[in-house]
Order: sequence, then C-alpha cells, then structure tokens
Amino acid sequence: MTAGASAEAAAREALRGWVRERSAAAVPDDFDDHTPLIASGLVTSLQITDLLLVVEEMRSAPLDPASLRPGVFRDIDTIYATFLADRLGS
Amino acid sequence: MSPESLAETVLRLSTVSRSSPRDPNETTHWPEPDSLDRAQWFTSPELISVYGTPLWDSLDDHARRQLSFWEAVGFYSLNIHGEKLLIEGIARRLYQPGLEDVAEYLHHFLDEENQHSIWFATFCLRYGGKIYPDRKVAFPREHAPGEEDLLFFARVAVFEELVDRYNSAMGRDDRLAPVARRINANHHDEETRHLVFGRRLVEHLWRWHAPGWSDETVAGVRAHLAGYVMATWREYYNPDVYRDAGFPDPYATARQAWDHPATAAHRAALTARSLRWLYEAGILEAPVLS
Repeated sequence: MTAGASAEAAAREALRGWVRERSAAAVPDDFDDHTPLIASGLVTSLQITDLLLVVEEMRSAPLDPASLRPGVFRDIDTIYATFLADRLGS
Repeated sequence: MSPESLAETVLRLSTVSRSSPRDPNETTHWPEPDSLDRAQWFTSPELISVYGTPLWDSLDDHARRQLSFWEAVGFYSLNIHGEKLLIEGIARRLYQPGLEDVAEYLHHFLDEENQHSIWFATFCLRYGGKIYPDRKVAFPREHAPGEEDLLFFARVAVFEELVDRYNSAMGRDDRLAPVARRINANHHDEETRHLVFGRRLVEHLWRWHAPGWSDETVAGVRAHLAGYVMATWREYYNPDVYRDAGFPDPYATARQAWDHPATAAHRAALTARSLRWLYEAGILEAPVLS
C-alpha cells in the first residue's frame, strides 16, 4: 500500500469512527462510506461544526467557507472526495 | 402569560429602544489601528477559551494578552455570524400571521442587531484585518406547524443568553482596553431588552404550538435545542484564533481545550445559569450540560 492509500484508509476509518461515536441515530450494521449521513439522521446540521474541525485537522488546513454546502456531507465517500482527496489521496 | 402581557412587554421595550442611541460612533471611540496598544487585555482572562488548562498555565503574560486580542476577534466574529442568521430570520417573520403583535419590536430588534454587527465588524476589520469564517451549515427539513418559528426564536434566545454572560462580565471589566469594554457594555445594554423579549416570545410560542405536537416532535425540539447549545459552545474553541495567536497546532489546541475538565465545568455552570428559564418553562426537561 502506498503512503497516499494508507493515509486515505486512515482518514476514512477516522471519519467512520467519528460517526459511530457521535451519531444522533442508531448506526446500521452495514454502515459504510456510502451510507447516507444526513438523510438517515446519523449526522445533524448541529454536528457539522464538530465534523468540520475533524476534517480540517486531517487536512492540516482550514476549509474554504464557500465549499460548505449540504450536499458535500452526503456520505463519507463524498466528504473524503470533497475535502481530503487533494491533500491525502493516493 | 397572556397575549396581553406579551403585547405590554413589546410596548415597553419598543419605548426604550426608541430612546437609545443608534450610531455606534456616538457610543464608542475607535482608536486608530496603529495607536491601539495590543499589550492590553481585550478579553477577560477568565473567559479566554483555554483558561484553566495546562496551555494557559504555560503562557507568559504577553502571550496571554496576545491571545486575548484574537479571542476578541473570534468572539465578535461568532456574534456577527449569529446576528446575520438572526437578522435574516427576523426579517422573514415581519408581519407573519400570528406574529403581528410583536412586529413593532421586531423592527427595533432588527435595527439594534444591525448596529451590533457594525460594532463587531468594525473592531474585527479595523484591528484584526479579518472576520473569522462561519462553520455552520443548515440542512432544510420539514417542520410541524409552529415548530420552525419556535426553534428559530429559541435558538436566538439561547445564543443571546450565552453571549450576554460574556458581554455583561466584560462590559464591567476595568482590565480591558476601553474599546473592547465599550463594545461589550453597549451590546449588553441592548441585549438585556432582547433577552426579555426572547424569553416571553419563546414561552408564548411553546404554549401556543407544543400542545398540538406529537411526542416525537416535542422530543425532537428538545434534542435540537440541546444540540444547539453544544454547537454554540463548540465555536468558542476556534482554531483560527489559536493559529493567529501563534500556537503551533491550532486543531489539537481546540480539541484539548474543549476536552479539558476546567472548560467543561465553565460551560456547564454558565449554561445552567443562562438556560434555567427554559427548564422552568418546561421547554427543556433535563440540564443540557452537566
């Protein structure tokens, strides 16, 4: 595994761990990177500030406020592609 | 409380608002940026986000005062973003059916919040050169009748109650630079009226709408408000502040400050005092933080 792939795997696992720990709803057994976060109620709008800080820390850089639209938090795959792939990707 | 007493409150607060000075330049002296002494306190030390943590203990007096300046920029930025949402939401509800009796005061509310934002933005841009970005994102969803209005005004009240604890203390703190003390004192003076109005209106809306809601909606409202309190506090631990204050790992600082028992105790005590009225009105059932 390359360093980039390893970083990606670690980031995705950290995001899954954050959702499991902080979820506002019961996390399904088949929860994965494509499970809807907002539509399923796993993540609420009030938790986004906390989630953004986690993502920013992974990026080691602030996010562009213009990029903060509801659609970018659809699932972990989208969060990774939107905010992290350019910094960590393989 | 009867609708008449809400109307009486609106009349009394509107009268006071009409006699209050509006121009921020009349009430605040703004030093030239080059002449502002950055070695002063701009935030009361006890209200700085890392106070009581090992990081605070490790800072010398100069570093603490530097941090107090950027904490002020962070606190005022938080206020600007909160007031933008407030202004937008109040403007949308002017003369809305069911809120006609409070429309006159909503005009004063809008006027005063706009002035507050001018004070906060003037300080941030004049002395800090920036307003820190907002990290809130709203997801549209369906609401029960009256739920969206109740949540909006309750969020406004919660936000202003917490902020006012800081404004009230810092408006009386002689250690602070005069411009910082004046901004906090001015805000507290006007927020006192907004707090009275907010409590009365939220209690009125709760008594009006909640009896018609399902148990699920009532539970959802309570969970939302509890989550809002946490989310509001979260923004007081701002990595942008720590970065500008020169801390090498601003995200770790934010996390460690938030997690420390001293800051948790501070949040719990201040929240309990600020939100007691929500428990007494039956809107919240259990303490949000403990």
